[in-house]
Amino acid sequence: MRAVSNLKVKSIARTSLIRTLIFTALILLVGAQFDAYNQAQLAVVLILFIGVLSITLLTGISGQLSLGQGALMAVGGYSTALLMINYKLSLWVAIPLSIISSAIAGLLLGVAAARLRGPYLAGTTLVIALAIPTIANRFMSVFKGDEGLQVDVGYPPQWFSNLFGEPTYEQWQLYVALPFAAVALFFASNILLSRTGRMWRSIRDHESAASLAGVNFSRQKVYVFIISSTFAGLSGALYGLRGLVGPSVYPVSLSLTLLTAAVLGGIRSITGAFIGTVIVVFLPDWIELGLGNFTLSEQVSNFLPALISSLLLILTVVINPAGVAGVRLHKHK
Amino acid sequence: MNTFFAALSLGTSRGAIFALVALGLVIVWRGAGIVNFAQMGQAMFSTYIASTLITNGYSYWLAFLVALLSGAVLGALLDIFIMRPLSNKKQSELLSSESMRAAVPVIASLGILGALQALAGIIWAAEERGFPAPAKQEGFTVAGNVLPFTSFDVFVVCVVTLTLLVTTLFFTKTGIGLAMRATALNQEVAKLSGIRTNRTRTISWAISGAASSLAGLLITPTSNLSPNTLDLVLIVGFTAAVVGGLDSPVGAVLGGFILGMVISFVTFYDTPEDVFLAILAVLLLVLIIRPRGILGSKDARRV
Repeated sequence: MRAVSNLKVKSIARTSLIRTLIFTALILLVGAQFDAYNQAQLAVVLILFIGVLSITLLTGISGQLSLGQGALMAVGGYSTALLMINYKLSLWVAIPLSIISSAIAGLLLGVAAARLRGPYLAGTTLVIALAIPTIANRFMSVFKGDEGLQVDVGYPPQWFSNLFGEPTYEQWQLYVALPFAAVALFFASNILLSRTGRMWRSIRDHESAASLAGVNFSRQKVYVFIISSTFAGLSGALYGLRGLVGPSVYPVSLSLTLLTAAVLGGIRSITGAFIGTVIVVFLPDWIELGLGNFTLSEQVSNFLPALISSLLLILTVVINPAGVAGVRLHKHK
Repeated sequence: MNTFFAALSLGTSRGAIFALVALGLVIVWRGAGIVNFAQMGQAMFSTYIASTLITNGYSYWLAFLVALLSGAVLGALLDIFIMRPLSNKKQSELLSSESMRAAVPVIASLGILGALQALAGIIWAAEERGFPAPAKQEGFTVAGNVLPFTSFDVFVVCVVTLTLLVTTLFFTKTGIGLAMRATALNQEVAKLSGIRTNRTRTISWAISGAASSLAGLLITPTSNLSPNTLDLVLIVGFTAAVVGGLDSPVGAVLGGFILGMVISFVTFYDTPEDVFLAILAVLLLVLIIRPRGILGSKDARRV
């Protein structure tokens, strides 16, 4: 029995590893073809992909809707920035450490959220998403208020440049985000394929049946929140490293953007999370491309991407709730 | 002492508006089992319509009526074209579970909110603009002292009280109102008794749309108007509805006034920056001590 389950664990890990390697290779290949602007955009895709995965796990897999992922991203961002500025740590040390603080935030949120359902949870997390950034102004001396903390990915170490040649700043942004995105993908894939994933799906589909089958669902709900928060925190840390960590970097609309990406792509699948993130990030560029020489007034072009992504969100929910990756739904059911 | 009365009067007039917002949320929750996060987006949209009419020289009262009507029509349209098809999709795999049935309408309403805000930005630009009040916004003067209560505040409290009375009468004395309460109580039984539940759902969306448009008209003279200004009002209204009990109209009103007072006293005695933390504290307190809200019924939390 034990041997069988070990084998299973190994094969799950192998599947996830293969997925991760293919993903990494594809990103490197595509990234090499891109110009500087699109490389930076691709880095944003990788960063937000991690945040969208947090929603895939939380909402898609375990059925709990949170609108506060942006606040958890802020926790990760501020922790990383404070560690880097006050303790002069490199980002490769600061980010893993900051994940601990977002896990703690997730634990607190999870303990509160385990009692809440559906719209109650959505509304409460929305209030949290609004309330947390005001803390930045409350403790000015630490968080520097609206001005925020300035951090960036810096420059590659010498050995890196010696081995691979001097990367441009945009390339370096991409190379920093990629290993984190790959690790996030590996863990998310493992969770989805494993017993834990099945347990979380059982909470989503039928709480009382799950509990009869021996799933301690309030404890599992807390676990879901902790894991999902570490994803969000990681994403937020990298998101802040684009230059600034401040309340304006993590607005409520960021939480909604992540949710939109997750739903558009397909809220239950990792592929869906990636497709959705690509859509959300590149949509403004595609609109500009689609319009060609036809120029819109600034008033229209500022809001057109938001209008189109909101309409896509409504259409997806009403017509094809499974999202772009919906065909793969059965596999993960 | 003066600060105290100032806080009390601001709390009353704001509380009245929050009560209206919370009532709008409660009506849709009872009628359709959905918390409508797009509600203040709808209100923002109809307030913009009123603002456009006023700047084009029409009278305030005409704009007022048109805004209420367009709020009702928009609410009904959203239900017919988005929420009703969504609720008829219950057979789909994604909506097969209880938790997703609760989550998906919320996602849809957020999509509606985003679309309305972007559309308002495209049509009316994103700059803040003022919105007129139908009454004076200077405090009454008694024996040389300026009181913190303005004639606009009196207007707000009167209009809201009147609205609450009319809604109560509507729900208790009219056939449609009773049908709506029956649908809220048990949709299957209501359907079997010959109530057209689809229609009562749409009517609750329309009433809620009008009520929140009224809230929008009453709050924008003090907060200005932009596509995002009313987001915060929605957060407060949601908290008020949860505090009072999401399925209780009387509770919503009570919750609205409680939130109005909390926000006003925090603003006057502490700092306005703490308002959100105070709202969060009130929300968490209620969810921990009495999750169904002050006047909510026992099984209201079952989704």
